Amino acid sequence: MMSERIVSETPKLTPVLEMRHISKRFDATQALDDVALELYPGEIHALLGENGAGKSTLIKIMTGIHRPDQGEMLLSGQPLAIGSPVEAQAYGIAAIYQEPMVFPDLNVAENIFITHRDTGAVVRWGQLYREAEAILAKLDVKLDVRAQARGLTLAAQQTVEIAKAISLQVRVLIMDEPTASLSAHEAAQLFKLMRTLRDQGVAILFISHRMEEVFALADRITVFRDGKLVSSKPAREVTPEGAIRDMVGRKVEEFFAKRTAERGEVLLAARGLGKSGAFANVSFEVHRGEVLGFAGLIGARRTDVGLALFGIEPADAGEIVFGGQAVQIRSPEQALRLGIAYVTEDRRQLGLSLPMSISANISLPTLRNYLTRLGLIKHSAEVAIAEQYRKRLAIRAPSVAIEAGKLSGGNQQKVMLSKWLNTKPKLLILDEPTRGIDVGAKAEVHQIVNELAAQGMGIILISSDLPEVLAMSDRILVMREGRQMGIFSRAEANQETVMTAAMGQAAGAAAR
Amino acid sequence: MGRVWARLRSWEGLLLAILVVIVIINIAQSPFYLRLDNQINLLQLSIEKIIIALIMAGIIINGEIDLSVASIMGLAACVLAALYERGVPAPIGIGAGLLVGVLCGAFNGYWVAYVGLPSLAVTLAGLIGYRGLARVLLGDRSIGNFPPWLNALGQQPLVGPFPLALVLFFALVVLAVIVLQRSAFGRYIYVIGINRDVARYSAVKVQRVKMLLYIASGFVSALAGLLLAARLGAVRGNTAEGFELDIITMVLLGGVSIFGGTGTLVGVLLSILIILNLRNGMSLVNITGNTQTGVIGALLILSVLVPNWARAARGALQRRA
Amino acid sequence: MNSIRRLFRPEQIRELSLVLLIGGAVLFFGTQIDGYYSGRTFTRISTGAAILAVVAVGQTLVVLTRNIDLSVGSIVGFTAYFVGTQLAANNAMAPLAALALALGVGAIMGLLNGLLVAYGKIPAIIVTLGTLAIYRSLLVDYSGAKTVTTDSLPKWLVDLSSANVLKIGAIEIRVMVVAALLIVLAFQLALSYLRFGRRLYAIGSNPDAARTAGLPAQRTLLAAYILCGALSGLAGFMFLARFGTITVVAAQGMELQAVAAVVVGGVTTFGGSGTMLGALLGTILINTLEQSLIRWPEISEFWRDAIQGLLILMAVATDAVIVERLRRLWARGDAQARPAPAETARTS
Repeated sequence: MMSERIVSETPKLTPVLEMRHISKRFDATQALDDVALELYPGEIHALLGENGAGKSTLIKIMTGIHRPDQGEMLLSGQPLAIGSPVEAQAYGIAAIYQEPMVFPDLNVAENIFITHRDTGAVVRWGQLYREAEAILAKLDVKLDVRAQARGLTLAAQQTVEIAKAISLQVRVLIMDEPTASLSAHEAAQLFKLMRTLRDQGVAILFISHRMEEVFALADRITVFRDGKLVSSKPAREVTPEGAIRDMVGRKVEEFFAKRTAERGEVLLAARGLGKSGAFANVSFEVHRGEVLGFAGLIGARRTDVGLALFGIEPADAGEIVFGGQAVQIRSPEQALRLGIAYVTEDRRQLGLSLPMSISANISLPTLRNYLTRLGLIKHSAEVAIAEQYRKRLAIRAPSVAIEAGKLSGGNQQKVMLSKWLNTKPKLLILDEPTRGIDVGAKAEVHQIVNELAAQGMGIILISSDLPEVLAMSDRILVMREGRQMGIFSRAEANQETVMTAAMGQAAGAAAR
Repeated sequence: MGRVWARLRSWEGLLLAILVVIVIINIAQSPFYLRLDNQINLLQLSIEKIIIALIMAGIIINGEIDLSVASIMGLAACVLAALYERGVPAPIGIGAGLLVGVLCGAFNGYWVAYVGLPSLAVTLAGLIGYRGLARVLLGDRSIGNFPPWLNALGQQPLVGPFPLALVLFFALVVLAVIVLQRSAFGRYIYVIGINRDVARYSAVKVQRVKMLLYIASGFVSALAGLLLAARLGAVRGNTAEGFELDIITMVLLGGVSIFGGTGTLVGVLLSILIILNLRNGMSLVNITGNTQTGVIGALLILSVLVPNWARAARGALQRRA
Repeated sequence: MNSIRRLFRPEQIRELSLVLLIGGAVLFFGTQIDGYYSGRTFTRISTGAAILAVVAVGQTLVVLTRNIDLSVGSIVGFTAYFVGTQLAANNAMAPLAALALALGVGAIMGLLNGLLVAYGKIPAIIVTLGTLAIYRSLLVDYSGAKTVTTDSLPKWLVDLSSANVLKIGAIEIRVMVVAALLIVLAFQLALSYLRFGRRLYAIGSNPDAARTAGLPAQRTLLAAYILCGALSGLAGFMFLARFGTITVVAAQGMELQAVAAVVVGGVTTFGGSGTMLGALLGTILINTLEQSLIRWPEISEFWRDAIQGLLILMAVATDAVIVERLRRLWARGDAQARPAPAETARTS
């Protein structure tokens, strides 16, 4: 291992892929402004930057989806132009995204070889299976090559994509937030795979918002800000604080605002809550003015608890007492009437109607409040309330008539928050409220959450960002694979105790 | 929303321009063309389809489709005829026909909204099934001789120069525009059509909205079927067969996306006027009804192809510039 | 457990249940209709199914890609009439030339559909709704409201419909039936073993991924439509041979029957899933019911449409409810073997 590290850090003379003076403009935005990037064989190169820094645009240029306005690309020293993802693939450049692009109705082996051009018109199944097994063996993963991709976990689907890239003799592998939806165990497997590939001489461009991962894996770290190259250094010369400073362009002194809890009476009590196939025997209380964190790895089924409380996937066991009344929550409409709001983790698919205006999105759950006696929508009232939230949450948009889809991730998050705050909830369930939004917006969201709790709202904060849960929560409920591992007070909770419980090792703290 | 609106406006502008051209050509062909009675007659000949196009627009914007409308028309007319044949008074037959329409709509709606089956398949089953029931009721027979008041309602002017069907149509247009563009229900129709999961996660009663739309579609289809029976004065098992294609063409040509979420009633109304005037114009120059159907089919395809090309051409120009 | 799961995929359970349904229907009508178990019944059902099966094969190719072809009925009608008039005008035309003409005319119509869908990027339902009307109106204009009659056709064609490959007792196996079966078999093999076939599944399974993976999606889709058109042309030829008398409404509504057969056979309208065998079984079930209900004295023959509608609904409902549940069960069995089930597998 040691010797391999040394090899991989030895500077190579020719980069496998070199980007020089790349610029790209979309309408009014300069997405990339004279940036450069060098990828050497056998290195993991991390690319950091806030959302909108130009990372995605660069990837799209490398894979032939966009063409640069200026600049050149060199492959092993030879200039080249890439017109399409297919051409990129032919040059040995492949990309893997957080949502794997598999064919659910085809089996694993077919998925690996589907893009091969040289297979002939007739499918030789025996040979196909043998070759697929050989590639998976090379990657040291066990997967049934005859299984339909439909039934595979996301992690397994990603593995299939990596196998596909390997089968194409890939020289440059771009991985765009590949761990965003993986459990810690799955991510560890993926890292092992990435190191194997690096040692085989592949250049990997790795994009992640998780600093631990970046510093554990990367040989070189490049930071973009506002479409410009800020720094590009060997990983050992970079500190996390320095990288963040480069990303945001200022020193982030206070990541998480401190807060003082003023705990009120019990708002919601769940006893023995369960949903077959998802989670079982979950019991907790949320008080007014309290932030109850839900920690756990992906696959812990925390979201399912949130969905049960909001009536999307109602619980089928246990009882819920809300505001002193025993209730059964069977639908989102009912949850809404009770004063429960759920802010989803998936803004684009579940949270916002992207082609509709900010104001129409904000008024959607409460549209009934903006109707005339004849049932027609009072447009001015709708706009007025949206304007209030635009100011209050500092949503950066020229007007509330703008399409929600045109906003940045952080501003979309604020629109979602406005939409649910406008329902005047007693209990607010936040599911990964800061995932994929930049550092500045993240701090603003934290600020808002603290204010809401201070006003007496009960908040359930589901987050995979451990430092966030630890800093924001008054108490932390830890789950693992649908089971409750314990509830920790602020004093008991730290990285170690929470992770230990989430990983399923004997928890030190007693469940309350 | 700005760009969507701009696109819609331009689409509707294009439709309006086409309509104007067709009308001018038609006026050149026949001096009587623009006379009120000719225009009323024009509307009257397709009024049943036009009425259904209004509700079909809502269903397609909602991201679904209803292929069974023409079969429901036929079934409702056959229910009226079969009951009348057995001596049941026509008003009761009309009530029964409307009820059957509501039941058919509710049946479609149940499978689409609550079971979650694809509407294309469910309403295809409805198209075949309801038509089958209509045939079961009447077999090969044709039933007419309805009471004179019913025929008069179907054929004679009721308010001023307008017969009942047109009066109903005008009322329904006003209602549909208000519901679709201004009411909460209309907002829900669009939101669900854009993304039904977002609607569900926003506590919108997605299933109920879909169910109501299908019930409305069944009711309106039955109403149109009864109007058709009154206008024609006779009903057969195959009454209104194949109408669904014309109706869907009217809606899609009007700029309503087959994928749901976009489209306006203004566009649909313009496309209805284009189809009617085009057909009339073709009749003026002695093009047969059959060829007219082919032309409308071509128009449907062009209505999507031309904007696609225009977008591609614009993109190519921008890239060059 | 694993081996059982691999042995019976949900799709195969569906095919098995279709076989049982067909068997059940035959047994039931045997008790209801006098002389049901006869060579004539077999011939009726098999020749009726043969024509529809050929159309259903073409429709399956298209539906697998998450598209649809509603113009097949018009293509069948047009080719039947067109080839009929050519043969009537020129009785000496070689049989193979007539067959090639039918295939060619169908393929050209399919080509237009395919160009518009694949390269014009127009939703398939719009394109084929349009060409449904266009092809039919071409036929009506071309015909001038005349009819092709049996006595104007060459003898070999008229004889073709009653020609047998072999005869076992009272059971006659017609040439057209064998031809249809061979076509089903050939295309089933193509789906399983040709790269083209696998690409049809891939495109229907995930169109976005097909595009990014650089599959020749447009070309493949075009080929599917051309084949669908050509097969419909062939069905038109068979239609002509079987009925002899062809009017302008020939094969009207066959598009719905073909879609019904395919959907009942388990080829889902969401694309990517289904087999030719399933489509064949769907065709046979629909034809068995249709041919049997006509002769069932208990109820009006007009019930057959109503029952067909119900059948489609049942097929789709089973797909959504039962096959999905089985799939989930299958998938869950797989997931248990792994350490951590992914939360994101939950799709709502």
